[in-house]
Amino acid sequence: MTSVRVQGATVTLPADGSPDGRSRTILGPVDLTLDEARVSVIGANGSGKSTLLRLLNGLVAPTSGTVTVDGLDTVRHGARVRRRVAFGFTDPLSQLVMPTGREDVELSLRRRHRARSDRRAAAEDVLARFGLSHLGDQSVYELSGGERQLMALAVVLATDPALLVLDEPTTLLDRRNTSGFTRLLETLPQTVVLATHDLELALLADRTIVVDAGRVVFDGEPAVAVERYRNLVDEP
Amino acid sequence: MTSPGLFTAHVPGTSLLHRMPLWPKLAGVIAVGAMAWLVGSPWPFAAVTLVLWALAVAAALPLRRLLRSIRTLLPVLVVLLAFQWWSHDLAYAVHVVLGIANAFVAAGILTATTPVTDLLDAVVRAARPLRRVVDPEVVALTLGIVVRSVPWVAGSFAAVRQSARARGLDRDPRAVVVPTVVHVVAYARATGEALAARGLTDPPDDEPDPDIGSGGRRS
Repeated sequence: MTSVRVQGATVTLPADGSPDGRSRTILGPVDLTLDEARVSVIGANGSGKSTLLRLLNGLVAPTSGTVTVDGLDTVRHGARVRRRVAFGFTDPLSQLVMPTGREDVELSLRRRHRARSDRRAAAEDVLARFGLSHLGDQSVYELSGGERQLMALAVVLATDPALLVLDEPTTLLDRRNTSGFTRLLETLPQTVVLATHDLELALLADRTIVVDAGRVVFDGEPAVAVERYRNLVDEP
Repeated sequence: MTSPGLFTAHVPGTSLLHRMPLWPKLAGVIAVGAMAWLVGSPWPFAAVTLVLWALAVAAALPLRRLLRSIRTLLPVLVVLLAFQWWSHDLAYAVHVVLGIANAFVAAGILTATTPVTDLLDAVVRAARPLRRVVDPEVVALTLGIVVRSVPWVAGSFAAVRQSARARGLDRDPRAVVVPTVVHVVAYARATGEALAARGLTDPPDDEPDPDIGSGGRRS
């Protein structure tokens, strides 16, 4: 089981370029130890969910404090952390950087398989594992929203990371695709940390973190967390 | 955003062109491009046009896509034809326009019959002598992203133009150019973030990491 430790982490935007010329703390301080297989993060838009998630694979460096994944500091050992931690974005088109899914999976595998034939075979295995072989050669623009999200997931999971971080993965999906995606998440062997506005999805986690105005305001049982969040956002 | 033209999408197949190594195809594209400087008469250009379309048919490439690619280039070709006809003569104008169209179609046939990953491999090999200056993988990745981004930018431009038209602003270039530039910058940032998240911009790390590859961590 992957262990994530966030100790006194804050993220502050510098004064340069801010409208009022002052620095602004958008997250923290946050202290968390994540050991569960499924963790959901909920909160309103702009609450700091995405920033918290971006700390976990070093996409955002903490201004103060530390973040470690299995003991590896996300700043000092960024490359090794990113080999362990896959990150999925809300819009799969930002994730897919090659013209077709097969080429994108092969891109993920370039460092692991130098020989082209090995890489091709490994990419085919990945596509088959996700039931995407028939879509591998289609342009990413021609895939449906659900297919794109699934392809983006296959692309980041091609290297068998230990932890999967997902930033609102179902926001652009319809209900049917959300259900399919949720079922797939259940079967993944990876530890999953996801931010979502879908409270049904949040409830499926082992633990839920509520973020508001850059602070963790609740951390615990998903059902209780969702109730707290509802009270928080329904307050006048 | 937009469906791809032939220029940017690999079309799987088993034709001779698909099976051919990259280098002869690349040499062919360079030769077609160099014709503009080496040949003066329009007739050889017309012959090459026929050959290229025959190759596209033989490779079972979707001609509708090829026509769509040409259509996006058409306004430029028409303006160029008119200008060259006015400044030189019709034969020269046809020579210039066919030269550009042929180079465009030849490049399209190359990308349609070659997976981008093969192109990346070739770029990595070609850039290897420069590895002290720049990482060949980064050069290859950059080119791959350029290929992927062409239809996105074209689609973004079309979407912005449509929304400008809906607001009655389609005659104001600022209403089209400024939002397109903003979209492209946002897209570039998102792409950069996605690459960084996947560790594709990290330098090669030789440190052993025995846990990687085991994937399943759920207990």
